Order: sequence, then structure tokens, then C-alpha cells
Amino acid sequence: MTTPLLQVSDLQFAWPGQPLLLDIPAFSLETGERLFLKGPSGSGKTTLLGLLGGVHQPQQGAISLLGQSLRQLSSLRRDRFRADHTGYLFQQFNLLPYLSVLDNVTLPCRFSALRRERALRQQPDLNSAAEHLLRELGLSDATLHQRSAGALSIGQQQRVAAARALIGSPELVIADEPTSALDADSRDAFLKLLFDECEQMGSSLLFVSHDTSLATRFDRALSLAELNRASKPETL
Amino acid sequence: MYLLRLALQSLANRRFSALLTVIAIALSVTLLLSVERVRTEARASFASTVSGTDLIVGARSGSVQLLLYSVFRIGNATNNIRWDSFEQISHQPKVKWAIPLSLGDSHRGFRVLGTNQAYFEHYRFGRDQALQLSEGRPFSDLYDAVLGADIARELGYQLGTELVLAHGAGAVSFVKHADKPFHVVGILAKTGTPVDRTIHISLEGMEALHVDWQQGMPARGAGKVSAEQARQLDLTPTAITAFMLGLERRIDTFALQRQINEFSGEPLLAILPGVALQELWSLLSVAEKALLLVSVFVVLTGLVGMLTAILSGLNERRREMAVLRSVGARPLHIFSLLVLEAVSLTLAGIALGLALLYAGMAAARPWLEQQYGLFLPLAWPTPSELKLLGGILAASLLMGCIPAWRAYRQALLDGLSIRL
Repeated sequence: MTTPLLQVSDLQFAWPGQPLLLDIPAFSLETGERLFLKGPSGSGKTTLLGLLGGVHQPQQGAISLLGQSLRQLSSLRRDRFRADHTGYLFQQFNLLPYLSVLDNVTLPCRFSALRRERALRQQPDLNSAAEHLLRELGLSDATLHQRSAGALSIGQQQRVAAARALIGSPELVIADEPTSALDADSRDAFLKLLFDECEQMGSSLLFVSHDTSLATRFDRALSLAELNRASKPETL
Repeated sequence: MYLLRLALQSLANRRFSALLTVIAIALSVTLLLSVERVRTEARASFASTVSGTDLIVGARSGSVQLLLYSVFRIGNATNNIRWDSFEQISHQPKVKWAIPLSLGDSHRGFRVLGTNQAYFEHYRFGRDQALQLSEGRPFSDLYDAVLGADIARELGYQLGTELVLAHGAGAVSFVKHADKPFHVVGILAKTGTPVDRTIHISLEGMEALHVDWQQGMPARGAGKVSAEQARQLDLTPTAITAFMLGLERRIDTFALQRQINEFSGEPLLAILPGVALQELWSLLSVAEKALLLVSVFVVLTGLVGMLTAILSGLNERRREMAVLRSVGARPLHIFSLLVLEAVSLTLAGIALGLALLYAGMAAARPWLEQQYGLFLPLAWPTPSELKLLGGILAASLLMGCIPAWRAYRQALLDGLSIRL
């Protein structure tokens, strides 16, 4: 058996001066897997995603991505590692409104040489890589690509954000409630597009949401409350 | 490079507040550079009030005082010097030329200078510029007068105008030389020096005015000498106020200066005009330095305004920073982004400030030259101005570190997403 893409063991984390927030004995994500993690707001979900990205450091335990323990990296190297291997997709408002759609999508390639290089493997330049992804995600109107991101509808913005998370084929895509602002129809369409693209890019998907109705569409579903021994009744 | 583009696009997104900041900086930069330019030019034009003269000689007093009355026509001599002292010194072999200066009378507040042809021939100002007549000719008749440019303009005098000189230097004088009026025969071109405010007559003319005076009062009745009678008299002056010397070889200056200072005939003082000008300027430069200091503070105010604008915007931009972090920007990138923002705003301010400066100078140049004799060249920034601009940029870099540091700390705390 190969090592999992993402592996968490004996993780403990508390914000300074506050009680233990996360206590996760074990959690892993296999390569190519699509995992649904149920996490209502206030359950330490955002903090966990920050830990997985290496933005925060746990007091106890280890997190390893692609076999690399995050703890062993300096904060500079952790930032680089995250930029190279993880794509993020958040709820809403996660585009820079003053950049064009294309510039938003290509942003990760400006900060990660690896993702830039991967994006350029199939396409002659970054803009065509971005255009290709946007077309795959159903935004084929080229005039739209030049518009500033702030001028798009929420549904369009989420697809642009998805393209941005996927550009340069990161091994892991972390999505935090990306569909919460979408209506049911768009949500289903969006999920399908996201799955297809993750599969094409070879990216694993960690999808965090409170909406359990989506869980059945994933390879595996977990609940953060069950994983986390530190979860308290007040989060209910 | 990409960070710079991001910084610019982010600024463009907040263009209204960015524009106000740029304008504030630009105005302060314009003020600073104008002060610097006028200051430099004032100093240069001051230093070149008189040039080409190796020594100025007068009765023994202070060097600044001698300079003030002989060159700037300010104040009075404590004592005159005898004509034969002038003759004796000016005929030394080391001396190339000598200009006698006789002061004491005035016309409507403008000083009258009695001198001779050597003045028109040898007097130099600025960068070795000789006096030019814009109209007419130098004086030749006893009652001829040559006006400085300002006098002709301010009093509306033309060639042929008759003027009555007054005894003493005040603007209002009760003792006038009404019996011996002068005629304007020449008007000098503008020099931007006190020459513009001087009426030039011959030494003999000056002597004729006072030939019948006794104990500082005009003669009455039979003692009076009419203008025509005066022509018949020997009008060689008995005394003058000061004189200027040009030497054959400049290297003799110090030797001759010592010789004059030790002159046995009467107590004399010889000064080097350049040195005395510097001495005088060091007295005046306090005001000039204060002005520069004030404008430096205005620039600092502009930069603090920028700091306020960036800092107050930071909280609203936490999401922007978090988004950048989530796409791979390191905290150091966030830091650089904000420093770049401050530096870009300042650079734009400097550019706009320079544009305003040159536009303003192009507009104000003729007026400044007319009114104050200040010649402001439309030249590239001088090294000292570039130093000031570099200082502003460096200050903005340092100031940019303050919001940058706060954003850096905030970015570390906020991580990849913030809950607002």
C-alpha cells in the first residue's frame, strides 16, 4: 500500500489561552480520493484547514503531505510547499476584484514555479492554460475572461475560483463550503465540473461542508465532530 | 515584478484615495523643490551681485558694512576717503582699473552714485557680465544721469526726463538740489542687482551739487553757485566714499589688501568682495534654512498622510491579503506589496510634483525675473535636488514598512481565510 497523500496523526491544537480546539488521533486522504468532511461552522474547521496548509502549527502530532512532514519545514518552506501542492477554494469573495478573471486564475502560478511549470506543460502560456480551465468549467465566453472579477455573478466567481485552485495541477485541492452561496441546481452542476476537473488534473479533493446532502456524491464522508475528540457540545 | 503590478492594480482599485495621497505628496514636493530652487538661485544671484572686482576699499569700518553701502547701497559710510588716497592707490602698477564710488544723495528713495567712465567699462556682475545700456549712452555732460532699469520702469522715466536730486538717502528729503537738475541720457538693462535701483552721475556732477555747500547746508544769497557757474570751476572731488579695484594679476590681491590696510595716509579697509558676500550670506542664510526646514516638514506631513491612508485601509483589505496568502503569497510578499504601494504612491507624487514645478516655473519665470531679478533655469533637477527626492523616497520606504509590518503580522494571524 502506498503512503496516503495527506496524513494526520495525534494532532492537537489550541489557540493561545484557549481550551483545546482540535484533538484528532488519525485522519488521512488517499491519492485521487474525493473526501467529504462534515464540519459545521465553529467546529474548528477553518483552523484545521489552516493547519493542513501549514499556516498554523499544531502543538502536538504530525501532518504530512506527499510524505513530507510539515513540522520539519521552516515557515518559508511550508509556504512554498503549500503554494506548490495545494489549491484552495473558499466560500465566497475569494477573488481579487481588481484583477481580471484571467489574472485571478493565473495567480497561483505567479507564486509557485512548480505550478507554473505544470500549467505550461500542456499550454503555450499561462493565459491559455487559464482559458482552457475556464472553458472546462463552463465559462467559455472570452470577453468574460477580460472582465474584472468583481463584475461576475456569484456562480461565475465560484467557477473562476475553482479554475484558480486547479491551475498547475496541485496534488491536493481543499474546498471550504464552495457551494454554500449557490442554489441547488448550480450546486450540482458545480460539483460535477469540480469532480471532472480534479480527475483530469489528478488532484485529490478535500471538501468541507455542513451540507450533508452532498456527502453521497463523494468516495468517502467523515464528520469532523467524530474525528475530533475535543469537540464540545456547544458546537451543536 | 508581478508584485509591483499587483500593487499598482490594487491602488488603481482605490484610485480616489490613492489620487488624493499622490496630490498631497506632489504639492509638498513642489513646495520643497521650489524653495530649494529659489534658495539656490537667490544665493547664486546674491553671490554674483558683484564679480570681477578684486578689492573694495573704503574708510576703516567693518567688511560687511563696507560691502553693504558700496555694493548694496544700504546704509552709509562712517567716513569718506580722500581723493588723493584714491589717486595714490589706483596708480599702483598692480592695479589694472579702479572705479571711484561717491554716495550720499538720492532721488525719491533711490540712491545716487557718483562715478566715472570706468564704471561702465569695468563693473561686472553675475557670470562676468558687463553693464549694458538698453537705451541712450553713458553720462558725458556734467548734468547727465544714467538710470538703473527698475528706476526707469517704476518712475516711468525716459531719456530726457529731468530730475532733481535730494541731499541724503531718505525717500522724503527736505533739502533738494533744485538749482542743478539732471537729465536722463541713458537707461541700463536689467541686471537683477542693486545697480537696477541706482542713479549714476559723474563724480564732477556730484561735486557740482555740493560745490557751494558749507557745513552740510546749502549756501544762501551771494554764496550760491548756479548750474552754469559751476561748469567753470575745478570739480575734481576732494573725497569719495569707496572704490573698487581690478588687479593685473589676482595673485597680488592679498599683498595689495595688506598694503591698503596699512596705508599711512588715512585708515582704510580693503575687502575681498567674494569673502564679504559669503559673510553676509551666512547672516541671511538662517531664514533660508528655516524655509527649507519648513518645507521638509510639509513633505513629512504629506508622507504621514499617505501612511494614514494606507493604515486605515488595511483592515478592509484583510480579505485581499488572505486571498493572496491562499494562492501562495508568503507573508514576505504581503510585506513587500505594501512597501511597494507606499513607494509607488510617493514616486507618482514626485513625478506629479516635478511636473507642477516645471509648469509653475515656466509660468512664473518672466515675472520672477522682472520683479526680483531671479533667473530660474528650466534645467533638470540638480544633484542636491535629486538628493532631496532620494531622501523623500527613502523616507517613504521606511514609512511603508509600518503598514507592511502590520499587514505582515495580520496575515500570519489570519491565515488563509478570515471570518468577517
